[in-house]
Amino acid sequence: MRTVFKFAVCSGLLLAGHLVQAFTVFACEPEWGALTKALYPKAEVFAATNHLQDPHHVEARPSLIAKLRQADLAVCTGAGLESGWLPVLQARAGNPKVQDGQPTMFYASKFVTLINPYAGAITPFSGDVHPEGNPHLHTDPKRLLQVAAPLHERLIQLHPQDGKQIADNYKAFEQAMQAGIVRWEKQAQHLQGRTVVTQHSSFGYLWQWLGIQMGADLEPKPGMAPTPVHLERIRKQIQQPQPFAIVIAQHHDKRPAQWLSRQDSAQGIPMLVLPATVTNMSGTALIDWFDQLFSTLSQRPD
Amino acid sequence: MFKTIFQPTALSACIGCLLMPVMVHAETTPGWEFGAVLDVANTSKELELGARGKDLQLGHSDLVARGALGSALNAEISAAVHTRDGDVETHLENAWVETKTLPAGLQARVGRFSSQIGYLNEQHPHADDFSERPLLYRGFLGGHWYDDGLRLNWTAPTPFYLRLGVETFMGEQLIKEAETKKSPGAYTFSMKTGADLNPSNSWQLGLSYLNNRRQAHAHEHDGAEEEHDHAHGAQFSGQHLYMTDLVYKWAPDGNPKSNQVKLFWENARITGIHPELTSQRHTASSLGAVWRFHPAWELGLRSDELAVNKPEEHDDGIEAATARLRETTLMLAYKPSHSQTYRIQFSRQSSAGEAASEVFAHTASNVVQLQWVIGFGAHGAHSF
Repeated sequence: MRTVFKFAVCSGLLLAGHLVQAFTVFACEPEWGALTKALYPKAEVFAATNHLQDPHHVEARPSLIAKLRQADLAVCTGAGLESGWLPVLQARAGNPKVQDGQPTMFYASKFVTLINPYAGAITPFSGDVHPEGNPHLHTDPKRLLQVAAPLHERLIQLHPQDGKQIADNYKAFEQAMQAGIVRWEKQAQHLQGRTVVTQHSSFGYLWQWLGIQMGADLEPKPGMAPTPVHLERIRKQIQQPQPFAIVIAQHHDKRPAQWLSRQDSAQGIPMLVLPATVTNMSGTALIDWFDQLFSTLSQRPD
Repeated sequence: MFKTIFQPTALSACIGCLLMPVMVHAETTPGWEFGAVLDVANTSKELELGARGKDLQLGHSDLVARGALGSALNAEISAAVHTRDGDVETHLENAWVETKTLPAGLQARVGRFSSQIGYLNEQHPHADDFSERPLLYRGFLGGHWYDDGLRLNWTAPTPFYLRLGVETFMGEQLIKEAETKKSPGAYTFSMKTGADLNPSNSWQLGLSYLNNRRQAHAHEHDGAEEEHDHAHGAQFSGQHLYMTDLVYKWAPDGNPKSNQVKLFWENARITGIHPELTSQRHTASSLGAVWRFHPAWELGLRSDELAVNKPEEHDDGIEAATARLRETTLMLAYKPSHSQTYRIQFSRQSSAGEAASEVFAHTASNVVQLQWVIGFGAHGAHSF
């Protein structure tokens, strides 16, 4: 047993010596990794989750603890989105920089107003409700800009020598985003006032921004998997008023939405499967992702 | 009858008292979480070494408060309650503070807390996949072993996860009544390592060693003193406990919400079981799998084995009573939300060995357990 420990300590120290000193950023979700990359391309960015994963429900895997151990900055959403796994990573990483309250622990939700805070009494039967509000705030480009501003300031504080470059990148990102907003609003104009059937509030900010009404939710309660009884209820009422689409995220189980879209009552309502976040973390990933969302949303079946 | 096993030692009592005013104050400060878990189960027949009594009983239910104490410390305090044969028993299970800003990947914890040996021990029992812990835990660690002590951990700056830790404990929760009383009563060394093979596959390996300096009393042969005493604390103990644990998880694209397979294996060996029984040992192992095949449904199978040499006082000295116990468990759990679990579990035990009828006198052939777990308030994050 002792030999094992000696071996472990020695190999640990050896590996530690080989590490390169890069500015390492741990992004809880890839949208924050992409935003960091857009503002500071020099950063080495790691995302704890990807577009195929539900950010509420990932395992606090050993690999994530190892990544957080090495982070110089962590960028997360907050508002309870990561409450099932991030606290374990923080507690085990042994990294003072990523503890709550530190300037290098950045929570995006602190800089924006969240929609639909759950105001009722929270009981074990409420589902995964967020009294802070909907945490999926990155689907609103205006709120993304509200996060980009303090994040670029934070990066300048940490890297004053690269301050000019970060400020320039921020300006470029803002301009690209503003131009995008004009483009996207135009693309989705015909959807204004329409209704959408969704699963979870993954795209809640997007609908609000575009003036799209949220109709039925495949989840009977937030975070709860669709049940046959609930789907049957939606099937009966789906045409009142007729939604333009059934939209689910790529990380959702496709079967409930598929079942619904095959029903007679849902005839003519397309099922759209969208990535709930960026699919890579390049500096242009956020813009590319919105472009992709809008080209899918604006496809008219008729 | 109301029996209280609330025996805070000086250390945990002291920490508990320190935390109380902080908690009251914390209620108004953000970041503090309060939660409660209720665990109720109906058991058709008591299992040998089982934690749950026959019929409807309150299982391991707790009240917990956790949060930050300033910018440098985290703290947690929790009290657990369960019933057994009409008795209500309460325990102070957690009362600790932990550093979060030590340099170089170091962390220290002091107070009362669960030891980090093995895979399951440091996890909250209400998050378990089965309604009874493996035989290994029930036989060697009193279900789960928490004690008063001190911990120092180091997380290595490696590309894979590596944690080395040392703990020292009073040991009184492990061996309730010791023949030899040494202080500290126990210390542990442990190592945890793990990584992802790819986005879908992850593993974790743990090695741990417990040095127990408190020697348990040898049981008198034919002694009537223990009427199936489910005493907290180890039923079978020794000077050295070696454990290995391996956990493997698979989920498509690393998205475990609606489909996940978890495999786990734990093995333990105890040597130095009595000064007069130098060559004998206790061993235990647990192998299991849990499959989440729907966001709300899980199916699990576990196979446990325990082989012991129980030191017994005979007229002509100490002799080992050799016995083996096997347990197979099948469970189906329905989890409509994060806060609720309904579980049905079937267990079958069989014992063998020359002293089986005496050491494992309550071996139960077919046991059905119905369990309901409900959480109120914050339920905290779960470890891998």
